[in-house]
Amino acid sequence: MKAEMRQKLAREPFAEKIRKVARLIRLAKTFPRRKRLTPAQPHGK
Amino acid sequence: MAINEPSDNLPLAEVLRAANGLVTAGLIDDWALGGALAAIYYVEPFTTYDADIFFIPKDKGLTAGIPTIYAHLQAQGWRVEREHLLVRGFPVQFLAASGLTEEAVREAEQIEYEGVAAKIFRAEHIVAIAASVGRAKDKARIEQLLQQADLDQSRLENILQRHNLKLPQP
Repeated sequence: MKAEMRQKLAREPFAEKIRKVARLIRLAKTFPRRKRLTPAQPHGK
Repeated sequence: MAINEPSDNLPLAEVLRAANGLVTAGLIDDWALGGALAAIYYVEPFTTYDADIFFIPKDKGLTAGIPTIYAHLQAQGWRVEREHLLVRGFPVQFLAASGLTEEAVREAEQIEYEGVAAKIFRAEHIVAIAASVGRAKDKARIEQLLQQADLDQSRLENILQRHNLKLPQP
């Protein structure tokens, strides 16, 4: 995200930012991060 | 809405109201919101899974009155889950302030959130506390605050100097 956009978000009213945090938490619960896969092992090893 | 029904928004107003209630009940002397939610007051929103309430204990004993605080909030319908108290499923940690965090509570900014009077750590104290803890996420928080918050540089330098702290090198 561009620095100006992030700065704009930082300037939003606290109540609005808290609503966004709630949305981020819901999104994180709906789409949990997958564990990073390790590179595939060659066959037979 | 009953105290433990989940809500779409974070139940922050209820958390702040409960903290004020602890002062009224004579269980704590003062308090302020710290941690990630306090940082979000100054920077762009990011995901966080709990609220940290730092309090100045009335009870100066080893437990800082935490058992009484927990019992008081449980009587109001809050649930306990490990080190957190839960309101509407949202975890809240009550942490006894001392040293730098006690100073942060005493000098916290007065705010009003959804009609509830509250105190929130100043950005300069959040930076200093993050510098004192020093985990990777604290370094990221410092970076974010330096970029996005209107920091009072002389206040920050004064806090860092008095508490013998240094900002991490970028």
